[in-house]
Amino acid sequence: MPSSKSLKEVVKVAEEITEISEKKFQSVLTQLKRSFVIMKKDLKIYYNKPPVIIQGIIFPVILFIALTVGRSVEPIYMISGLMAMIIFLSSTSIGPIVFPWETMRKTFERLITCPISIKTILLGSVWSTFIYGLIFSSLPLIFGAIFLSAELTINILIVLLGMIVAGLAFACFSLILSVPSIDSPGNTMVLTVLIKFPLVFMSPMFMPISLSPVAYISPITYFLDIVNVGLGDVSAFGVFGVLIDLGVLVCFGFVFLILAFLLHGKTLERRFRG
Amino acid sequence: MSAIIVNNLAKHFELSKKAKKGRKGPNKPQITMDTIKAVDDVSFEVKRGEIFGFLGPNGAGKTTTIRMMTGVLRPTKGRIEIFGLDAWKNQIVVKQIIGNVPEMSNVYFSFSGWQNMMLIGELYGVTKKERNERAKDLLKKFGLYEKRDLKTKKYSKGMKQRLLLCMALMTNPKILFLDEPTSGLDVQSAKIIKQLIRDYNKNGMTIFLTTHDMDVANELCDRIAIINRGKIISLDTPENLKKLTQDYQAIDLEFINGVNKRGFKDLSNVKEIQETQEGVHLIVEDVHESICEIIDYIRQNNFKIKHLSSHRPKLEDAFLKIIERGGKSG
Repeated sequence: MPSSKSLKEVVKVAEEITEISEKKFQSVLTQLKRSFVIMKKDLKIYYNKPPVIIQGIIFPVILFIALTVGRSVEPIYMISGLMAMIIFLSSTSIGPIVFPWETMRKTFERLITCPISIKTILLGSVWSTFIYGLIFSSLPLIFGAIFLSAELTINILIVLLGMIVAGLAFACFSLILSVPSIDSPGNTMVLTVLIKFPLVFMSPMFMPISLSPVAYISPITYFLDIVNVGLGDVSAFGVFGVLIDLGVLVCFGFVFLILAFLLHGKTLERRFRG
Repeated sequence: MSAIIVNNLAKHFELSKKAKKGRKGPNKPQITMDTIKAVDDVSFEVKRGEIFGFLGPNGAGKTTTIRMMTGVLRPTKGRIEIFGLDAWKNQIVVKQIIGNVPEMSNVYFSFSGWQNMMLIGELYGVTKKERNERAKDLLKKFGLYEKRDLKTKKYSKGMKQRLLLCMALMTNPKILFLDEPTSGLDVQSAKIIKQLIRDYNKNGMTIFLTTHDMDVANELCDRIAIINRGKIISLDTPENLKKLTQDYQAIDLEFINGVNKRGFKDLSNVKEIQETQEGVHLIVEDVHESICEIIDYIRQNNFKIKHLSSHRPKLEDAFLKIIERGGKSG
C-alpha cells in the first residue's frame, strides 16, 4: 500500500500538471509571445550573417546601381524602385536561412524541444525578417523626405501601410524557400537567388508601371504601386488601386504562410534522421 | 502514477535508395521494402524518481525513442504517456514539464552562456526575476558562472555540455531526458555531470538517459533497458543483468611481448574472447581449470605475462551476451 507521503506527492504532481494544462487556454497568446522571443533570437544571431548581408544589403545596392546608372529616372520612381528592391530582398533574407542554419549548427533540436510549436518558430522568423526589411527599406524613404521633398508629395500613412503589409507578405514567402534544404544554408541561398531575381526583373522598377502580363505575377509590382501612390503618383489599377494592391499582398502572404506551416510540418522529420 | 508509460511504440522511416545502400551492419535496425523500422514495438514504464537507462549500440533506436518521447518525432504507432498525458497530443504541455539534452545538440555560439540561459528561460515562460535567480544558481552549481559572459564558441565541449544541462534544468523539470550525456567528454566533466545527475535524482527528479557506455549505465541507473535493432531485448536492474553471466568468470590478461591472441580461442574452457590493446579479455566457465590451461599455453608459446586477473563479468559482458543472443535469454 502506498505511504501517505507518496500519495501526497502524486496529488501534488497531478495538481501541477492540471495547472499547466489549464494554461493551454492561453496557449495562442503564449505561443505568440514566444514567437517574439524567437524573433529577438533570430535578429541577434542572423543580422550579420554573410548570406543575409549579401542578399539583404549588397544585392539591392548593386542592382540599384546597375538599373539606374546612365538612365534618366524620375525621383518618385527612383525612391519607390529602391524601396521595393530593398524591402523584397531584405525581407526575404533571414527567413530562408534560419532552419538550415540551425539544423547545420545542431541548435534546432534543442529549440524544437522547448514548449513551442513549429508554427511559433516560423512566426518568429517572419517577425525578424520583416523587421530587418522594414528598417532597411525605410532608409530610401528618409532620404527622399529629406533631399527630394520638393519633388515628392509623401503620404506617410499609405507608404507605411504598404511597407508593413508587403514586408510581412514577403517574409511569409521567404519561409517557403527553406523547405527543400535540410542543413545547407548555401543551397538555400542558391535557390533563393534563382527564385527572387526573376521576380525582381519582372517588376516595373524605376519607371511608371505599365502592366505587362508578367508584371502581374510579381508581388513587388503591387508594393511599387502603393509606394508610387504614397509619393504622389496615381495608381495603375484605378481609383481603388491601393486597396487592390493591399488585398493582393495580404492574399499572397496568407497563402505562403499556410503553405509554410504545412510544408515545414511535413519536412520537419527529415531534419532529425540519421 | 508512473512518470513515463510507453506502449507498443514504433517508428518507421521511409528510405531513399541511397540510404538503403548505406544501412548494412549487425546492429542496424531492420529494413523492410521501403521503410526502416528504427523502433519496433517497444513497451516499458519508468517509475517516478527513477534513473532509467536506455542502453544499446549505435543505431539501435535509442535517440529515435527519446525524440518521440520529447515530442520531436511523431510515433508511427503506439502511445507515450508522460505523467498521464499523451506526449504527442499534449506536446506543448509535456515539453513544459520536461527538460531535455539532445545528443546532437548545441548551444548558440553567437550568444554567451548567460544569453543562452535567458533565451531558454523566456521560451519556457519563466519570469525575468526567476530567470536571473535560476541562471545564477545553476551556472554556479555547474562551475560556469565565472565564464557566463563569454561567447559559447569559446567554451570547451565539456563546458557546452554542462551549459546544455543547465538550460534543461532552467525550469526545474519533473523529468530530465539525457541523450548520451557524457559521450565524448573529458573525465572531469563526465564526473561532474554524473554527480549532478545523482544529486538531482536524490531530490526527486525522474531521469531517463540513453547511453552506449556500460560504466555510465552501471553507475547511475536503477533499471536498464537494452535495445538492439529497434527492439527492447532485456529490461532489469544492472545487478540482475550481470547475473545473466553468473555461470561465467572473466579473466583479463596482458602481455609484455606480442602474442597470438587468437590462439586462446582454441582453449577448451574459453567461451568468449575479446582482444584488448595489450592482451585479451576472456569469458570462462571454470576459473581453476582455465587458469591452468592458460598457463600451460603461455609456457608452451613462451609468452611473458604482465598482468593476470580474474573477476565477475561486468555489465559490458552481460550486454554483449544479451545482444549476441538477441535477447532470447533476457
